[in-house]
Amino acid sequence: MSSAQPTLRKLDDLLDSRLMAKLDGIDVMSRKIFSGKLQGERRSRRRGQSVEFADFRPYVHGDDLRFVDWNIFGRLDRLFLKMFLEEEDLSLIIALDTSASMRSGSPDTFDYARRVAMALAYVGLVNQHRVSLVGFSQGRIERASNLRGRRKAADVAQWLLRQQPEGGSGFEEAMRLVGTARQGRGVMIVLSDFLFPEGFEKGLGMVAGRGFDLFALQVLAPQVVDPSREGGIHGDLVLVDAETGVETEVTVTPELIRLYRERLDRLCGAIRAYCTRRDIVHLVVESSTPVETLMLEYLRRRGLLR
Amino acid sequence: MSAPTHILALTWVTPLAGAILGASILAPLVALWFLKLRRKRRVISSTLLWSRSLADLRANTPFQRIRFSWLLLLQILAIVLIAVALAQPEAEGLGASGGRHVLLIDRSASMNAMETAEEDGTTIDPPIARLALAKEAAKTRVRELLGGGWFSKRASEVMIVAFGSRAEIRSPFTDNISTLESAIDAITPTDEATVLSEALELSRAFTSNLNVADARGEKNELPVGELPTIELYSDGRVSDLATLALREGEGIVYHRVGAADRNLAVVAVSADRPPEQQNRIQVFAALVNPRTEAASVTVQMAIDGTVRAVTPEKITIPAAAERDGQWVPGRAQVVFRPVEQPNNASIEVAIVEDDALRDDDAALVVVPPAKKLSVLLVSNGDAFLLRTVLEALPVERFATMTLGEFEAATAQGKPSGYDVVVFDGVAPAALAPGSYLAVGAVPPIDGLTQFGSHEGVYPRIAREEHPLFRAASIDELFVSKLVAVQASKNFEVVAECAEGPMILTLDRSDLHLVYLAFDPLDSNWPFQRSFVNFVANAVEHLGRAGESLTGRALTPGEAISMRLPAGARNGEVETPDGRKFACTIDPDGQLTWGPVQLAGLHRIRFTPAIGEGTELRLVAVNIANADEARIAPRAELALGTQTVQGISVGDSRRGALWPWVLALGLLIVLLEWWSYQRQVRV
Repeated sequence: MSSAQPTLRKLDDLLDSRLMAKLDGIDVMSRKIFSGKLQGERRSRRRGQSVEFADFRPYVHGDDLRFVDWNIFGRLDRLFLKMFLEEEDLSLIIALDTSASMRSGSPDTFDYARRVAMALAYVGLVNQHRVSLVGFSQGRIERASNLRGRRKAADVAQWLLRQQPEGGSGFEEAMRLVGTARQGRGVMIVLSDFLFPEGFEKGLGMVAGRGFDLFALQVLAPQVVDPSREGGIHGDLVLVDAETGVETEVTVTPELIRLYRERLDRLCGAIRAYCTRRDIVHLVVESSTPVETLMLEYLRRRGLLR
Repeated sequence: MSAPTHILALTWVTPLAGAILGASILAPLVALWFLKLRRKRRVISSTLLWSRSLADLRANTPFQRIRFSWLLLLQILAIVLIAVALAQPEAEGLGASGGRHVLLIDRSASMNAMETAEEDGTTIDPPIARLALAKEAAKTRVRELLGGGWFSKRASEVMIVAFGSRAEIRSPFTDNISTLESAIDAITPTDEATVLSEALELSRAFTSNLNVADARGEKNELPVGELPTIELYSDGRVSDLATLALREGEGIVYHRVGAADRNLAVVAVSADRPPEQQNRIQVFAALVNPRTEAASVTVQMAIDGTVRAVTPEKITIPAAAERDGQWVPGRAQVVFRPVEQPNNASIEVAIVEDDALRDDDAALVVVPPAKKLSVLLVSNGDAFLLRTVLEALPVERFATMTLGEFEAATAQGKPSGYDVVVFDGVAPAALAPGSYLAVGAVPPIDGLTQFGSHEGVYPRIAREEHPLFRAASIDELFVSKLVAVQASKNFEVVAECAEGPMILTLDRSDLHLVYLAFDPLDSNWPFQRSFVNFVANAVEHLGRAGESLTGRALTPGEAISMRLPAGARNGEVETPDGRKFACTIDPDGQLTWGPVQLAGLHRIRFTPAIGEGTELRLVAVNIANADEARIAPRAELALGTQTVQGISVGDSRRGALWPWVLALGLLIVLLEWWSYQRQVRV
């Protein structure tokens, strides 16, 4: 199921201009309201200076007198402060699995994940959000933090093109590092195949309880979903695990394929159940799915984009 | 030495070798198959799901099942086929191999039928005689039984018996193939009838346990051994089939030989010189058609090898039919116009059209030269009636005597030179060798006894085909007084009434008699024309009876017995195929030789007592057997309560199957190789 060397060399390979134009009109939607660092185009939990009224609260010493509601003072003879929703920027964290297991299938899972990451990052950039990219493998992470504005799209692309899948994922450790970083809370999208020998629970647990609006995007090659497809697994083989090097002798039979698919369904089901319990959106996507369809239909339907 | 085994209607020559190969290779093959498997390495994103699925697969089955693989299946199939080929299967529906076998080879007349096609329609070119097919099949069988396989020789013994109307052992039990093949090759065809009983008895006699110890005068009992398998190579047309039955434990394999059924036959031929035309010969013949379709044939008559007459139109012989459960062949009679032939001659009547069996398409008869008879009438009275009739006959010499004169002449060694003596109401004290027509009084012959008389009788049954009744019907005969006689079985009753015999004949080599058990004057016969014809027929019949072989021709299997002049010597018999055999002649001139095996003209030469010249006698031998003419092979033999299904020798000639099995095995190997290459290429 391993594919040939990637063909992504420049920004256009990651995100063509036609899709770029379509993505200009959409934004990342968070199910939570987060505090931003800079004034942005997004409602913030912080009461601020926008025109959108939020609440009243009693005046305390030091409050800005411009926000005192004098009408209420006239009626009640008490000072109340009008509170407005602050519009702040959103932190969009895209965690990309760069372990060796991502290099598989046709179309290549890793290339597909990078193209999705590019598209998501672009949406974040054009909407003036703070976009951070985190690549994780072997328990280490590589960041590209606090990118903002359309002009940073080239930086994002260069960063993505630089990533090469290798080694194991070290998902738990990687997520721990992401979760504890002073990155600011926001929307986090994890792009991975979630085929971790050590399991996905602990890794997701490291970020699930830390205030992120979390999306788990499980990217799988069509041949991983159904090995009997063209280019899949046939005959008598020694299967070598790309991450661990573990060898498994198999003779592919319809019975084995059936059991494999049952196992995969069980794994996806377990991830979905885990995510549901922790308010994480889980989405399985085959690498043969057009990025445009994913962005404009699937992710919109699941509430990540609008 | 491993004995061949009979499994699944196949004979396995070396089953042990095949079993050993199969057992020793199959198990290692299955093991090696796994070792041989070159799994292709393939890097995938994660083996996580695969290893768990494999664990599921193993967990779900209590035993690890050999997974299905076309390659493994093909390899097992190839090994099994090669092992089967090594066991040398031979397809045939025969009895078990090994043990003792008696091959009975039919060499009767019907086995001379020429086969032009096999049962499945395959043309045999050139045509081959049925006997040759049988011999070839028997030799093949001998090689099967004794030839052994690649790794073993079979423990069999074979005896060869050839039979027609008699059976001969051609080879006693032996396991020597060349001896047996030579014995089979030496079997020559005959025109005999098929009599199986003697062959069966012969084989039984030789297959019963021979107590060798007894032969040495000791009394050691040998245990009863295995009964032999009797294998019959024949077309199944066995004349004595109805009388045969297999003994308990006795087995017989019937190798059905041949397929042809197209045959017509001449089963009887007779010749006569009309009384008023003694220089001419008239020939009668009977034809049979054993098939179920009518046939039309042209028949020719040849005298001394020269064709003298041909039927102007085709003779139609009706089809054979079943009547009252009995098979009755279609019959037709042919009568040729009298032809001039004053001298002795051999006359052959033959069917012109070709058929499968030529030997029975012709029949022969030998007639002596034209000769006028001399007749003596012995009577104590006037004998007006008989004297008048006899005087009217075209005889050379006619004389009358009283009984006293006759007996006196006999006592003196006379009378001699009379061909027929007629006793009219008298009986001599004794009858010397000769030919006699006795009327009324009972002649003094053993086996003929008078016990009274009957009055007012009518004939009930008459053998009208008998020469005595030619143009002499006795349908309107009434006898007022009949001599009641009791006749032994040597006599033939040619006419009888409800009370007993009316006319009897006796044909012995030295004495021929026609006896009328009534005085014609006590009947209305003198007033009928048939009486004159009857007397003329009787004189003619008796007058020719003493001459050599004018009567019934011999059939193959019988012996030639002929009285030659006393003192004859240097006897020699020449058979129809040109072979000559010396034969001895008794001092009183009796020649006996035989049995004859071939139909046709046998020439007997001898030197008479006086002079040095050689004299010739001709003897006609005809198949004259409607059963032998029925050459269509019998599908099965009913032997008593047992029915033996015939096996076509064409089937058994297909022989060994192992080359085909081996070829199939190698084909499977090729298929496996191709399949493997294709799989590895993926």
